[in-house]
Amino acid sequence: MISRYVTIFGYVLVLLAGVVVELLATRNQAQIPSLGQVLTRVMRTRTGRVGVLVAWVWLGLHFFAR
Amino acid sequence: MILLLIALFTAISGKPLDGVFMLVVATGLAWDAARRARSRPPAPAGGDPAVPAPAAQAAAAEARAAEAAAARAPAARGRPRRPLLIVTGLAVGALYAALVGSFARYSWPATAAVLGLGAIVLAVGWRESRRWRPVPGKLPMPGAMLWGGLLVAGGLWELAALLQQPSLTVASYTHPTISSLTDPLLGTHAGRSLALATWLALGWFLVER
Repeated sequence: MISRYVTIFGYVLVLLAGVVVELLATRNQAQIPSLGQVLTRVMRTRTGRVGVLVAWVWLGLHFFAR
Repeated sequence: MILLLIALFTAISGKPLDGVFMLVVATGLAWDAARRARSRPPAPAGGDPAVPAPAAQAAAAEARAAEAAAARAPAARGRPRRPLLIVTGLAVGALYAALVGSFARYSWPATAAVLGLGAIVLAVGWRESRRWRPVPGKLPMPGAMLWGGLLVAGGLWELAALLQQPSLTVASYTHPTISSLTDPLLGTHAGRSLALATWLALGWFLVER
């Protein structure tokens, strides 16, 4: 039972860390790009753009498709 | 190579369609890269200074692309917001989420709907960014590494849970993966529609990059 909560806590921790980093990115002093800026940069090339879009399609397929 | 590995592991974990999809995209990217490499002029053998080096040619091509993007910028900025298009998009998205959410998970109608939309978005994204957007300069490395680290940490945590299952296709109660945690939500029509709406919103966000 404790293992289950520890596992779930790990997911929540990663999610919360993402929210904190995004909030820090909105402050000008912090040298942290926002998630949108990172994705814009990654998707500048065709390989990066297709790679990110494939990851998005995969999410849909994984949760809904056969 | 990464896509090929994902295709292999997805296929052996009981999702052959995902594997085939990844394989098709990986092949398409490889074919596209080879085609572009062939169309590039060969490097100068004797180092002729009159002939630009490949790096210089690549820089020139990048500069031309930046100029073309800058030329499109005023038109994009001057374009009205087109609220009708946005409202239509939201309505179609809501209808899609409600309709596809009514299909059972892993059914052929749900598969066709998700795969069809994904293929369209990929085909559009393959050509170029849907709209002009200023590309941020070189990102600060520590900040970018932070996002990368979070992605890797989340992936490894999920992988650890997956590997502690009795088998790749049997969920573990003590070490749940994100998929098994979302099963109760995705077991209902409302939950599936909500998840599909979130997926569509994420797709919209990405296509706008």
